[in-house]
Amino acid sequence: MSTPAPSDLLNRAALRAAPVLLRTDGIRKSFGAVTALSGVSIYLRKGEVLALVGDNGAGKSTFIKILCGFHRPDAGTIEWEGKPLHLRSPLEARQHGIETVYQDLALVNDLTVYQNLFLGREKILRIAGFIPITDTRSMRVQTRRHLNALGIGLPSVSSLVRELSGGQRQSIAVARSLHASPKLLIMDEPLAALGVREGALVLDLIQNLRRRREVSIILIVHNYSQVFEVCDRINFLHSGEIVLDTSTEDTDEMELIRIVKSGLGRSAVREAIASTQI
Amino acid sequence: MASNESGVTTQVPTRSVAQVLPVAGRTLIRLPEISIAMVACIIAIGFQVLNANFLTGLVPVLAASTALYGTMAIGEAMLMITGEIDLSVAKIYSTTPFIAYYITQAGAPFWLAILLALASGALIGMVNGLITVLFGVPSLIATLGMLFLLDGSTLTASRSEPVLTPMEEPVNTWLGLGQLQPIGGLAEYAGILWLGLFTLILTIVLHRTRFGTYTISVGSNLLAAREIGIRAKRVKVANFMIMGFLASFNGIIEAVSSGSTDPSAGDNTLTLYGIAAAVIGGTSLFGGSGTLIGAVIGAFVIAAFLNGLPLVGAQAAESSIFLGGAIIIAIILNILINNLRNRRAR
Repeated sequence: MSTPAPSDLLNRAALRAAPVLLRTDGIRKSFGAVTALSGVSIYLRKGEVLALVGDNGAGKSTFIKILCGFHRPDAGTIEWEGKPLHLRSPLEARQHGIETVYQDLALVNDLTVYQNLFLGREKILRIAGFIPITDTRSMRVQTRRHLNALGIGLPSVSSLVRELSGGQRQSIAVARSLHASPKLLIMDEPLAALGVREGALVLDLIQNLRRRREVSIILIVHNYSQVFEVCDRINFLHSGEIVLDTSTEDTDEMELIRIVKSGLGRSAVREAIASTQI
Repeated sequence: MASNESGVTTQVPTRSVAQVLPVAGRTLIRLPEISIAMVACIIAIGFQVLNANFLTGLVPVLAASTALYGTMAIGEAMLMITGEIDLSVAKIYSTTPFIAYYITQAGAPFWLAILLALASGALIGMVNGLITVLFGVPSLIATLGMLFLLDGSTLTASRSEPVLTPMEEPVNTWLGLGQLQPIGGLAEYAGILWLGLFTLILTIVLHRTRFGTYTISVGSNLLAAREIGIRAKRVKVANFMIMGFLASFNGIIEAVSSGSTDPSAGDNTLTLYGIAAAVIGGTSLFGGSGTLIGAVIGAFVIAAFLNGLPLVGAQAAESSIFLGGAIIIAIILNILINNLRNRRAR
């Protein structure tokens, strides 16, 4: 175990003293006869970047869909900023400051960029004091400003999303989740559909957020080498439960692969090995 | 690049077509109303050339039938944007004026009876919607059931006999009873004026309100809408209720302007004309996009065919050939445009 250097930009000592933002205890979820989660307990400090790794079908997606209010757990508790949290809908999660970038990006092709950015929390203008219509001008201006600040270039914020490229769509999805200044950002396989260059941009974005320590992040990833670049801690999910919780300081890629190899999911091991050979 | 089996020589023209297509395609995608409006103009001019009485003599008739099909079409367009459809509208159209009639028989004033009948139309829409979203029944089947249920109920309750529509001024004038006291002849056009008002309101609702944005979202990408936290089921049910309200309003207009509340007024072709008008007007069959103004123009195209063809000497049966052809061409165009949109998405 190594002590962090005083010049550590990422300030791990401060992170260890940071309050716990999210704690789950014994989260269970079944779909019919299939048990997706059999008691998942994790914690996440303020500003921390946690990687959730695991084989296909290990329950990663189910677990984050519980955290973002899409599914309700069968059993177990979620504690948010020290208080119990019962989410009934994704909208409620967003109101608490939990934003999610889904693997499918959750963009609506037939709406414009700015409509997607504000989807679910449109700016409202009241005509004659009571007729609520959407304030499209203010949404356009704010979208343009927000995308510029993130360095995302687009020809027009009034383009339909179906007219954009894959990388642009990914950027819009990330930009939307950051727009509300969330406390927790959940990203499901943010790199899966991207090329190397576009993926590097997203990793840079995550690394920048990590340095600022303002938002906590849960990353679902398949590729272990990416985990070490941007994460503080790794939780390994296997058959519906966390089987390993380790800091990225205390382990390295090879060790992680050894642990995974020793009896856990085979295809996860294969993927892990494949990713280190790149 | 397009494949060309005929050899290298065709490459230059192929490219220029490929360059022109995206521009034309983009215009069609962004403003489908333009293309359908052009088609409507060509049809109108064609009939006018063939018979000089078309526009002058038929204006009130065209207005009334455009209103009749258009009121159904804008409701179906909203529903189709959410990815649903309602086959029971012609029966909501014939049932709810009867509800109004029975309420006046119980002693209530006609205006109150109309309000309650409109509410019952929305309620029937709500039942259609709830069956669809709560049990996962495709709306095609849920509303097909409702069609027969309403038809049977109305015919049974009325013993298949039409009744006189109650009269109470100024309600009847507003809703189009021309022969009483037409306000400068406008009562004849009550239907089309109401349609204009509803189209305006719903266009604003679709493009400038949260509900409209959610309506498009639910039809375009249901999973995304749910992940974002949009209550997709409520949005769908609300659109069924709008449809029920419009169908009911349409039926009441018909009952008032004809003076007769007829249990067999709502022929099922009325539903089909409404759906066809929405599709001709550019509403996607796959949800997510559509225009209400396009649906109204589509209703005008159908009205022009149905009223114009007999005027130029076609028999009723022959009219259906042309109308059927027009609908099929419109639907194929609709699919082609949709493919173009999807190709652009990649």
